[in-house]
Amino acid sequence: MSQLSESIRGLGASGPLRRMPRANVERIATVVVLGWAMGFMLWQGAGFTITLTTIFAIWAILAVSLNLVVGFTGLLSVGHIGFFGIGAYTMAILASDASYDQLRTESIPTPDWPFFAALPICIALAGLVALGVGIVFNRFRDDIFVLVSFGFAIIAFSFFLNLRELTRGAFGIHEIPRPAFGSWALDGEVEFLVFALICLALVVLICWLIVTSSFGRVLTAIREDEEAIAVFGYRVTHFKLAVWVLSAMMAGLAGALLASWTSFIDPNSFILLESMLLIAIVILGGLATIWGSLLGAMAFVLLEEGMRFLPFLPPEFVGQARQVVLGVLLVVLMLFRPQGLVGRYRL
Amino acid sequence: MSAWSGRLDLSQFAERPRDLLALLLALAVAGYIAWAISQSPQQALQFTFNGLSVGAIYALLAIGFTLVYSTVWFFDLYYGAAAAIGAYGIFYLRSGEALGGLYEVNDPAVNVVFALVTAGVAFWALREFYGRRLRERFGSGSALGVEALVAGGLGAYMGVVLAWPNDLNVLFAPAIGLAAAVVFPWILGRAAARIAPRANQSGVSFVTAITGAAIGVVCSVALAQAGGSKLYLSWVVSCLLAGMVGLAFYRGLYVQIIRRTHSRLIMLVASLGVLLALTALTIIVFESAPRPLPDVFGSTPWQVGGATIKGFNVFAIGVSIAAFVGLLLLLKKTAFGKSVRAIGDDEEVAKVVGINTTLVIAIVVFIGAVFAALAGVLNGHDTAIQPRMGLIMLLKGWIASVVGGIGNLYGAIVGGFALGLIEQFGIWNLAGEWKDVVSFVVLILFLSFWPNGLLPRR
Amino acid sequence: MTESSAAVIHTIDLSKHFGAVRAVDELTVAIPKTGITSIVGPNGSGKSTLVNLLSGTLPLDGGIVIIDGVGLRLVKAHESPQHGITRTFQEVRLFEQISAWDNIMVVLTERRLIPSLFERVKPAHRETAERVLREVGMWEKRDAMAGELSYGQRKLLEIGRAMAMNAQTYLFDEPFAGLFPQMLERVKEIVVRMRDQGHTLIFISHNMDIVRELPDHLIVLDSGKLLTEGEVHDVLSRAEVIEAYLGE
Ligand SMILES: Nc1ncnc2c1ncn2[C@@H]1O[C@H](COP(=O)(O)OP(=O)(O)O)[C@@H](O)[C@H]1O
Ligand SMILES: [Mg+2]
Repeated sequence: MSQLSESIRGLGASGPLRRMPRANVERIATVVVLGWAMGFMLWQGAGFTITLTTIFAIWAILAVSLNLVVGFTGLLSVGHIGFFGIGAYTMAILASDASYDQLRTESIPTPDWPFFAALPICIALAGLVALGVGIVFNRFRDDIFVLVSFGFAIIAFSFFLNLRELTRGAFGIHEIPRPAFGSWALDGEVEFLVFALICLALVVLICWLIVTSSFGRVLTAIREDEEAIAVFGYRVTHFKLAVWVLSAMMAGLAGALLASWTSFIDPNSFILLESMLLIAIVILGGLATIWGSLLGAMAFVLLEEGMRFLPFLPPEFVGQARQVVLGVLLVVLMLFRPQGLVGRYRL
Repeated sequence: MSAWSGRLDLSQFAERPRDLLALLLALAVAGYIAWAISQSPQQALQFTFNGLSVGAIYALLAIGFTLVYSTVWFFDLYYGAAAAIGAYGIFYLRSGEALGGLYEVNDPAVNVVFALVTAGVAFWALREFYGRRLRERFGSGSALGVEALVAGGLGAYMGVVLAWPNDLNVLFAPAIGLAAAVVFPWILGRAAARIAPRANQSGVSFVTAITGAAIGVVCSVALAQAGGSKLYLSWVVSCLLAGMVGLAFYRGLYVQIIRRTHSRLIMLVASLGVLLALTALTIIVFESAPRPLPDVFGSTPWQVGGATIKGFNVFAIGVSIAAFVGLLLLLKKTAFGKSVRAIGDDEEVAKVVGINTTLVIAIVVFIGAVFAALAGVLNGHDTAIQPRMGLIMLLKGWIASVVGGIGNLYGAIVGGFALGLIEQFGIWNLAGEWKDVVSFVVLILFLSFWPNGLLPRR
Repeated sequence: MTESSAAVIHTIDLSKHFGAVRAVDELTVAIPKTGITSIVGPNGSGKSTLVNLLSGTLPLDGGIVIIDGVGLRLVKAHESPQHGITRTFQEVRLFEQISAWDNIMVVLTERRLIPSLFERVKPAHRETAERVLREVGMWEKRDAMAGELSYGQRKLLEIGRAMAMNAQTYLFDEPFAGLFPQMLERVKEIVVRMRDQGHTLIFISHNMDIVRELPDHLIVLDSGKLLTEGEVHDVLSRAEVIEAYLGE
C-alpha cells in the first residue's frame, strides 16, 4: 500500500504532467458531441428527444455530483449509485400510491405523500447516510477507497433487494407520482422535462458555486496532497466529509427524479455495474470540470440510443452493449488520455 | 520546565479506545459464537460446515488475489471477471451435452476470440522467452515464422477444442498426453540425477524419454475413452482460458499503462473498465438469468450429526486444499517462489539481481487468474452461475485477503475460512441474503482496527 | 534550560520510532525565538522527522512539545498555524495539478468549513498572493501548473506558500538543497529578510557555507539524539561535531 501511495506521490514530484494540445481535443470533443446531439434530435423528432433529454438530465446530475468527489477531491468512488438508489427508494416509499398494492400485507403501508413533501426527505436521507458512511470511509484512500466504495454499492443494492418490508424487493414499487403544484401535476413529458432541467440547472449552479469558492480550491489541494494541506490549517476530514455529503444529496435528488419520472423502480436500476458506468461517464467527460460531466452524460445517452439503431444488436442487449463500449472507452482513455475529454485533472 | 503552562491536550488519548474497542469486539464475537453453539449445536455444525465450504472458495480467491497484489502492487479487478469466465467456461463447454441441450450457447465468435487470445499469448510467450534462442538458430525472419506457426497452431487447437466440446476428452487427450510426456521424463530425469548422479546421462534421458512417451500415450488413450473426464477437463480448459485472458490483459494493457502513466490508480481504473466490459459481455453471450452447472461428483447430500452435507462441498474443500498445498510448495520451496518475493519487495532490485521479472510476473498473474477461475467453477457447481457473480466474488476475495492480512499467503487461507465462518454465524437469525452485508461490516472493522489483518505480511 | 523562557519551541524527551529505527530518540532541545536556527546532522539523523513532529505531520510516540508555553503531547497538523508554525517539505510537496497562483491562494482563504463555501476570492487575498509571488520571483509563472515548474521554481513556490501564511515560526526542510547558485542567493535573501522582519526561522541544511553564514543558533543531531547545540561558531569548533559530521 505504501508503495502505491509512494508511486502516486512520486508521479507528482517528478512532475511528468504531459503537455497535451488541450484546446484542440476539447473543442473537437465538444463539437462532436453537441453536433451528434443536434443531429439526433433532428432525425428523431420531438417526442424521442424529450425522453432522451430527461434521461440526460438525470444522468447529468449524477455525473456532475460525482465529479465533485472524484475529479475535485480525488476520491475515486464507485459507490455513488447507492445514494441515487436511496433517493429513489425514499421517494418511492414515501410518495407511491398506497392503495396500489394493499394486498401485499408484508410491506409496511406507505404514507402516500406528494412529491414535494417527499423530496426534501430524499435529499436529506441520502445526505444522512452519506454522513455515516463518510465518517467510516474518511480514513481510506486511493485503491482501498475504490474497493470500499465498490463494496458500498453492492451492499446498498443488497439493502434495496432484501429490505422487503420497505422496498418490496425484486417486485419493485409502482405508482410513484409526478411532482404537482397544487392541482397542476407535471404529468406531461414536456412539463417533467422542464422540471428536470431546472433541477439540473440548480445542481450545476450549486456545483459551480462550490468549485469556484475557497472551499473548492481546498478540495483540489486535498486531492493533490492531504497531508500538506493539513499543515496549512485545514481539517481535511471535515472538507472531505462535506463534499461527500453534498454530492450524495445531489445524487439523492437525481434518484427522486428518476423514481417520479418512471413511476416504477426496482433494485435493478441500482446495481454496481451502473455505478461503474457512471464513473466511466465522469472520466470520459473529464475530471474536475462540470462541463465535462455534462458532455459525458450527453455522450452516454446518445451512445445508448444510437446503439438502438444498430441492426445486428438485439434490442434487449443495448444496455449491455453500452456497458461494453464504455468499458472499452475507459480502457482506451486510461491509455491515451487519462484526464478524459475535457478534463483538468488526471488520476 | 519553566515554559510548561500546565495545559494538556486531552485528545491525545484518542488512539487508545481503538485498541480497547477492538478487544471488546473480539470478545463479543467469541461470546456470540459460544452462545450460538449453545443455542443449537446442530445448526452450529451446519453453519460451520457451510462456512468451511464457502470459506474454501473465499480462500482460493484470496490467495490468488493476495499473491498478485503483493507482487505487482495493484488491485487487478479483472480478477472478478476471471471467476465468472471460469464458471461460464464450464457452462459453455458442458451445457450442450450435460444439461439436455436446453441451452445452445456454442458460438463461433466466442471460439474465435479465445483462439486468438491463446494464439496471442502463445506468440508473446514464445517471443519473449524463446525468441533469442530461436533467432540464433534460424535467423530472425524464420524465427518469426516459427513463432507465428506454433502460436497459430496452438490457437487453432484451442478453437477446435472449444468448437466441439462434446468430444472434449478425445480432443484434449493429445494435449494432456503431451504434457505427461514432457513433465514425466523431466521429473524422472531430476530423480535419476539425484539418486545416481554418475549414471550415463544420455542413457538416462533415453530411458526417461521412452517411458515418458509411453505414459503420454497411455494417458491420452485412457482419457479418450473416459467420457466422465469431460467435466474435469472442462475445468482445466476453463481455468486455462481465464488465466490466459488475465495474462493478455496484463501484458497487453496494464503494462502499457504503467509505462505511459506511471500511475497504479490509472491501472486500477482501466481494470475497472475491463471488469465492466467483460461482465456486460457475459450478459450478452449468456443472458443475465442464473444458469445451472451440470451435476458433479457428490451432488447428493449426506446427513452427518444432524447437518446436511453435500459430498461436493467436501470435494471442493479437498480441491482447494490441494491447490493451496501446491501453490505454497511452489512459492516456499522453489527458486521461483524466492523470485516472487524479491519482486514483491522491489521489482527494480530483483531485475538487477538477474531475475527474469517479466516471466515471473507473467506466471504470477496467470496463476492468480487460474485460482479465481477455479473458485468460480467450484462456486458455480455449488450454487448456480450468473454474470454478476464475478463482482461479488471479487469483493469477497478482497475482503478475505484483508481479513487474513494482505500479502500473506497463509493469511489469505485463514482469512478465507474465517470470512466464510463469520458470514455464516453472522446470519444466525437472519435470512441468508444478509451475508454480503455481514462480510462488508467485517471488512470495515478490519480496515479500521486491524488494517494489517490477522497475519500481517512478514 | 535557562534560555527556554525565550524559546519558541521546546521539546522534552521527544521520541519517534519507525519499527526498530529510533528516528528521534528522547530529544530535548530548545529553539530560541529570535533569529535563525539551523538543524544539521548526517543523513538519516532524524532532522526531517523532528520537523515532521513539530508540525504535526507525524504523530509523536513519546515526549512533549512545548510551543509558546503550551505543552502538547499530540501535535495536530491542522492546528500548527494556530501555534504560529508553518513549514516546507524536503521533497517539495506542492499541489501539483493546480496553478502556482492557486497554490498560494489556497493557504490564504477561510479555514472554517461553512464560511469557506461562501467565500470568493477577496482583494486582500489577491494582494497577498501577488506580493508573495513577486517576492519569490514566480509572478510570471503564476498560471503554470505547479507540477510543470522546474525544481528550483517549485522550491521557491513552496517557500512562497509558507510565507503567505505569515506565521511566527518557519520550519524549512532543506530549502537550499539542489538549487543553482542564483536561486540559492534568492532563498538566502528571503530568509534574511524574514529574520529581519522578526520571524523565527528554523532550517535544515547540509550546505556548510550557509550554515556558517546564516544561522545564529545551531542544533546538531546524530542518530536521533542531540549531539550538541549552541551559538554557531562555538558549536562548529567543538571536537565532537567535527568528528561526527564535518569530519566525514
Ligand atoms: N516514514 C518513515 N518510515 C520508516 N522510516 C522512516 C520514515 N521516515 C524516516 N524514517 C527513518 O528515520 C530515520 C531518520 O530519517 P529522517 O528524519 O528523514 O533523516 P534526515 O532528514 O535527518 O536525513 C532514517 O533512518 C529513516 O530511514
Ligand atoms: Mg531529511
